[in-house]
Amino acid sequence: MRALLLRLEPIIWLLFGAGILVGTLLLPGYLLTVALGAPLHLLPDGALSFERAHMLGSSLVGRVVLLALIALPLWKGAHHTRALAVDTLGHHSDGLVGSLLYAVAAIGSVLGIVAILSI
Amino acid sequence: MARPADPHAMQPSRPGRTRTAPPQVPDDFWTRPRMRTYLLFDATGIVYLLVGLVALRVAWALRDGKAAWDALLASFAHPAYLAFHGLALVCALFVGVRFFRLFPKAQPAHIGPAKPPPRPVLHAMLYAAWIGITLVLLAILGGVWPK
Repeated sequence: MRALLLRLEPIIWLLFGAGILVGTLLLPGYLLTVALGAPLHLLPDGALSFERAHMLGSSLVGRVVLLALIALPLWKGAHHTRALAVDTLGHHSDGLVGSLLYAVAAIGSVLGIVAILSI
Repeated sequence: MARPADPHAMQPSRPGRTRTAPPQVPDDFWTRPRMRTYLLFDATGIVYLLVGLVALRVAWALRDGKAAWDALLASFAHPAYLAFHGLALVCALFVGVRFFRLFPKAQPAHIGPAKPPPRPVLHAMLYAAWIGITLVLLAILGGVWPK
């Protein structure tokens, strides 16, 4: 399993790097509005009503941004959690832990593509 | 007890002339300040992974209609969700500050005939992009534009 992970390393690193850069660029704006502003009623009325959110999320740019917000943090998260597991638990379980984490990121990314294509 | 380090990660590109013992991770490695910051940087991965899964839930709620969307926003008002998203914001800021400091240092001296901009300029460009994208998202998702 580790041999396969080593072979996939360039793709994983590409997604991981994009996850750190693009994911981090997008997260504060998303978290301050959808995740914190709306539930705390800090946004103007109707800013994130279903109709407006659907209009934004179903546009081409909205779909791309939403997919980036789903997939890229998943890959950044999977790779860094794998590194944390290696640093704290040792490398003997790396093949299993790494495979599980990347499987979560891959399945989440596919489900994200399905979701944004069907909005 | 010290334990063996990852031999793959620490392997020299070619064997040295002198035989050396396999690398060992000291037992108290996590108490070193630089290592602690590094482990904290790694640990943000757990939060990012969960943020990605929650964002997936956001997309599915948008897909499933008004009732699902309203239920999602209502669930985000739960203190556990608010605490998690507050933590996620702190993690995103920590990752951004650390990564943007490291990014200019990791650039190659040349990319073909082109040279990357000087490190301070690259650093400033990353912060300008970060602030700009955040303001645009705040305006759009905050209902300022488009009306």
